[in-house]
Amino acid sequence: MSDLPLLIAHLVKLGLVALLAGMVFRGRLGLCWAFTLYVAAVLVGNSLATLVPQRFFTHSFWMLKQGVYDLLKMAIAIELAWRAFAAFPGAWRTARVVLLALLAVSTLSLAGLTPASYNTLWQWQPAAVTASVWLLTATALLVVFYQVPIGEWQRAIMLGLAPYLLVFVTLLSLLRRLGWTVLEQISLIDQLAYLGLVLFWAFAAWRKDETRFAAGPAGSHA
Amino acid sequence: MLELVLSSVGCAALCYTLGRYNRTLALQRWQFVLNAPEERALETLRRRVELDSALARQALDAAERARDAKRPSDALTVLRVALAVLEEAGADRLTRLRAMAVYSRMVRAIRPLPAPSPAPFRGAPLKAMAAFAGLVHGFLVGTQERFRLWLVLMGLGVRIVLHGGRRAVDGALREPANARPWAAFVEGLSDFEALDASHLAAFEALAASLAAVDRGGRQELWERIAGDSR
Repeated sequence: MSDLPLLIAHLVKLGLVALLAGMVFRGRLGLCWAFTLYVAAVLVGNSLATLVPQRFFTHSFWMLKQGVYDLLKMAIAIELAWRAFAAFPGAWRTARVVLLALLAVSTLSLAGLTPASYNTLWQWQPAAVTASVWLLTATALLVVFYQVPIGEWQRAIMLGLAPYLLVFVTLLSLLRRLGWTVLEQISLIDQLAYLGLVLFWAFAAWRKDETRFAAGPAGSHA
Repeated sequence: MLELVLSSVGCAALCYTLGRYNRTLALQRWQFVLNAPEERALETLRRRVELDSALARQALDAAERARDAKRPSDALTVLRVALAVLEEAGADRLTRLRAMAVYSRMVRAIRPLPAPSPAPFRGAPLKAMAAFAGLVHGFLVGTQERFRLWLVLMGLGVRIVLHGGRRAVDGALREPANARPWAAFVEGLSDFEALDASHLAAFEALAASLAAVDRGGRQELWERIAGDSR
């Protein structure tokens, strides 16, 4: 790993630590456990790849961590939907059908694209990322359709993750078109985009939610 | 390429919807569900409805007394006050009807309401509309659809009454001696009270449905919302 990507990787690491600290300080760890696990997994993956590169900066480790990240991203979308709709049986019934349909389609499309390998990552990775984007989108559309009150934190998670995933798919598409010769540049842009995402989340994690007090009932948990 | 297009569409839809999402507004819409137990919310609404009706009736009576005492300018001023009371009450009812429409989509089942009937109404448009809604009611199967039909009927009813009230006041301003606009206003007020009775019944049915299926979910929901920024 050359100097600039290494520097950005360390900045991402710092951003992730700030994000986790903000989540702990503001009591947001339990608001989406899948997201907490995802942040922890990314921090571990980043640390291993940058601190022990001879062992973990490899294709096989990249495949492993990417698989874990993909699973956790889908888990984030499903948990956010569950947390938003669990109290509303009517809305949750609809949300369940929509999410199950999306999961079934994405599972079938991913199964059709196996076996996955690092050399053909543009063939299977976009399908996994698109599935995550649409799980988040379905949740957002249902939230707005039913006017369910969701927290600023959940909103920030979705508003940050979806655009980053779009950048990631676009970069994979570019990699497929231009070939491995541009891998370094593509990786650098991806790292910068991810750094932006982590900083956005860290800012959201540390921010106080003011609407809570404005709309809360007397004697609530304020 | 397909994934890129799908991701772009999904991301744009998400950013557009969540970007426009107004949490404060959503919370305000939910306040009547989240903040008070059903009985208290129903009692508050009942008092509000009675107060609005009493205020409008009082203003109308005062206007009629002034008209009988040959003080047309005073009569018209007080009649406009009665209309203002109705307009404010109407805006409140329409806001609550919208909130009830949103919430009715989320419960598993709603306590059934009787079929709409023209009997409680005096105005011809409302009678016709209620008769038509009663007909449509027979074709709908689900209680939620029937409930929403009631909400549509009440929303249209409030608008019709307010429109009729404004026309009546305009008519009284043009021809102070003519008794017809006054009669139309009295008729409108009576219809508004009938609509308010339906409004209360619908609210009660929704609150009962919520109590039946909720199992403490509201409290959990509130804790999730309120516990967001500890």
